[in-house]
Amino acid sequence: MFHYLEEELEQLRTKIIKMGSLVEEQIEFSFRALFEGNLELAKTVMSRDDEVDKYDIKIDKLCQRIFALTQPVAFDLRLIMTALMINSDLERMGDIAVNISERAESLIGHNDLMKKMKVDIIANKVQKLIKMSIDSFVNGDAELAREIIKADSDIDRLDKDIFELLTNEMKSDNDLIIPCAHILTLVRNIERLADHATNIAEDVIFLIDAKIIKHSKDPKNLEQKDKL
Amino acid sequence: MKLEKIHTHDLNLYYGSNHALKNVSIGIEENKITSLIGPSGCGKSTFLRTLNRLNDTIDNVRIEGDVKIDGINIYDKNVDVVALRKRVGMIFQKSNPFPKSVFENVAYGPRINGVNKKKELEEIVETSCKRAAIWDEVKDRMNDSAMGLSGGQQQRVCIARALAVDPEVLLMDEPASALDPIATAKIEELMFDLKNNLTIVIVTHNMQQAARVSDKCAFFLSGEIIEYTSTTNMFTNRKHEKTQNYISGRFG
Repeated sequence: MFHYLEEELEQLRTKIIKMGSLVEEQIEFSFRALFEGNLELAKTVMSRDDEVDKYDIKIDKLCQRIFALTQPVAFDLRLIMTALMINSDLERMGDIAVNISERAESLIGHNDLMKKMKVDIIANKVQKLIKMSIDSFVNGDAELAREIIKADSDIDRLDKDIFELLTNEMKSDNDLIIPCAHILTLVRNIERLADHATNIAEDVIFLIDAKIIKHSKDPKNLEQKDKL
Repeated sequence: MKLEKIHTHDLNLYYGSNHALKNVSIGIEENKITSLIGPSGCGKSTFLRTLNRLNDTIDNVRIEGDVKIDGINIYDKNVDVVALRKRVGMIFQKSNPFPKSVFENVAYGPRINGVNKKKELEEIVETSCKRAAIWDEVKDRMNDSAMGLSGGQQQRVCIARALAVDPEVLLMDEPASALDPIATAKIEELMFDLKNNLTIVIVTHNMQQAARVSDKCAFFLSGEIIEYTSTTNMFTNRKHEKTQNYISGRFG
């Protein structure tokens, strides 16, 4: 159509990218707060959640305005729908970063236990997935998005392994029940982060390939690029 | 505080016994595009024509209330109507070029305003055609009849003709309703560029066009303004159910 719409869409893309960077940093800070026992950093994450929420509202309003004023079609329409969906995932990821930060205090002094329970491994893997999911949106890279969806099953497996490790640990030593319970909740939160990254990847595939693959059990959706 | 270019207060207009505009009070901001929407016969075009006194030419019209441009009531007895229409140009639904060359169409206004030097006229024609985004398409056809251009080109020549007398306000009465989507997009693009130096008031039946191009929007119904607000507000947070029903196409 004309440059007004182009400008609005560019503004929307920029806001999503900025919000994505902020949320990525919030998650990085929350993990550092957790593993370094840095409670100041944990507080920073909690106080900056307002900024994430402000992006959430701004993006919602911008999408509403673009829908109402420009009647977007095809790729433009998918971009706005994708922006709304990614916005919602990023906002939830921001909340999870706060939850992780809140748990940092309870787990001070339990670094060895966390390491034994492979918390650092799952956290690293999930952080990479989050970065990949935001990159896939920034670069419009559906292939990268497909890799994220495949990689999510590794996280699910790791999550199950950790659950087993934790229950065994709790059975073997009653004194570890409380820290293990904290770790159980923590790992559930980390696993949810990976689910949100996967949602973003599915949204990127919808944006680029115009194909809805969420809830799909068909592995073909991940093997080949669908024709428009 | 935004500058108001035009302000109407308790404006009433009667065609004989037909009360066509009822207590219309509205402030139209400078360097903005204001769209007037509403079903046929709601008074939006009548209102538009009160802004450069085009209704004066119709028999049996009675107008009460104020229409101020830059604070001066244009219905005052000492107002020069010809000078007013030079300041407040108008573009109609159907393009209406004169049966003359492209050059003579655009040069017409300046000529009757006393510009006679060829070089000066050529400069005005070129500048006006460039402002109307038609120059590249007509620069080699200046002596051809304007009637031979496409509908979209004719409409832009009419805009160039209006711009040639350097108006402050441009009134547009469904300027793109007879044009295809590409020609419509060109007119809309042009409006965006022009509003930097002009105040534009546009009547349109096309809700999408009102949403796309205007900064503020007034919804007329049965001669009254039902709602007047920013276009974003109008299309996202309308207050009145009648507005909702009209802009969503449920009536009209």
